[in-house]
Amino acid sequence: MAELSDAGLVKLARKGNQDAFAELVELYKDKVFHLAYRMLNNRHESEDIVQETFLRVYKNWDKYDENQKFSTWMYRIATNLCIDRLRKRKPNFSLDAELNDQDGTADGYSLIPGDNRTPESEFLLSETQQIIHQAIAGLPAKYKTIMILRYLQELSLQEIGDILNMPVTTVKTRVHRGREFLRKRLEHKLF
Amino acid sequence: MECKQAASLMHDYLDNELPEEQALDLKSHLDRCVSCRTRLKELEQTDMLMFAAVKHSLPSASDDVLNQIMSNLPKKRRQQPWLGWVKRHPALTAAAMFLLVMLFSTLSIWKSDDQLVVKGADLDKVRIEGHTVIVPEGTAIAGDLTIENGNTEVYGEVEGNLTVIDGSLYQASTAKIAGDAKTIDQALDWIWYRITNTFTEVAYR
Ligand SMILES: [Zn+2]
Repeated sequence: MAELSDAGLVKLARKGNQDAFAELVELYKDKVFHLAYRMLNNRHESEDIVQETFLRVYKNWDKYDENQKFSTWMYRIATNLCIDRLRKRKPNFSLDAELNDQDGTADGYSLIPGDNRTPESEFLLSETQQIIHQAIAGLPAKYKTIMILRYLQELSLQEIGDILNMPVTTVKTRVHRGREFLRKRLEHKLF
Repeated sequence: MECKQAASLMHDYLDNELPEEQALDLKSHLDRCVSCRTRLKELEQTDMLMFAAVKHSLPSASDDVLNQIMSNLPKKRRQQPWLGWVKRHPALTAAAMFLLVMLFSTLSIWKSDDQLVVKGADLDKVRIEGHTVIVPEGTAIAGDLTIENGNTEVYGEVEGNLTVIDGSLYQASTAKIAGDAKTIDQALDWIWYRITNTFTEVAYR
C-alpha cells in the first residue's frame, strides 16, 4: 500500500477500505496533531482534535469533493475544530471580527491576551525554541491559524485560503502582519 | 521608494511573489536604507526560525492515537451493496431500471394476452382459420407479417420479415420469405425481441 498516492488511498478509503483509511490516518495524524498543538498548546486536547478530525473525515466522505486536495479538506476540518475549542475557552473569540484592519496590528485580536499556558513539554526545549513557541502562542488568534498553517504545514497562500475559505489577498495580508508580529517579538531576544 | 512600500515588497519577496522588476527597486532602496536592510534580515531570520525550529521541537501524537481512531469508527452501516453501486453509477442504473421496467411490462403483456394477433401491412390476402393463419399459395404479402398466439402456415410469399410468437410455423415447399423468418416461443425470446425492437424504435424516432 506504500506506493499508493494520496488520491489512491482516499479512493479506497471512501469505499470503506479500513486499511487504506488507517494508512491515511498514519500519514496525517502528526500533522493534525502539530496543528492542534500549536493552536491549543495542550497535548490532551490536541489528541482529541486528531481523533475528532479523522472521525469526521470518515463520517463525511460523501461530502468530500474529489477535485479538492484531500489534505486541504482535512486541514479545514481540523482548523475548524481547533477554532471551536478556542471559542469555548474565550467567549469573545471571533475569527472574523475586524477592527481597524487597515493599518496593521491594531485590531480586535491585539486586545485579547495570547494563550500563554505553557505546555508540559516546554521545559525540554532549548531557550531559543521556548522563545519561538512563546512568540507563536502570543500571536493574535486571527494570525495564529494562518501562521501555523504556513510555517508548520508549509502550505501555500492559496492552500491556506482554500482551507480557511478566505481570499488569497486576505491570507497574504495576514501572513505579512503575522510575520511582522513575530519579528517584533523575537527582535530583542534573538537578533 | 518609501520605507513603508519597501516593507510590503519585502514580504512579497519572502512569499516568493515579488516580480523581478520590483525586486530591483527594492534592492536599490535597501542599498541606501540601513533600517530596511536590518528589517529584511530580521524577517528572513524569523521565517527561517519558524520553518526550522517550530517543527523540530514539537511533540508527537501518542502512538495509540491510530488504534483509538480505528476502534472508535462508527460500525459500518449495513448498506446494501447495490445501493452503493447505484450511487456510483447513476447512468448505468438508469439504463438498468429501464430494462427492468421493460421486463416487467412485457412479462405482464405476455401473461395476460392469449388472443390471436396478426400484424402486417397487407392482411387482406391472409386467411385465418381458428388459431391458424394461412398465407395461401400464389399470394404475395407485401411487407412484414407478425403473428402472436397462433400457428402459421405459409404456402405463398412474404415479401418482408415473418415473425411468429408463441406458435408454430409451417413453411410449405412453395413458401418464399424474403426477410427473416423467426419463431419466438419463449418468454425470454419475446422479451429480447421487445427490447431490441424498442431500442430500434427509439433510435429511429
Ligand atoms: Zn527604508
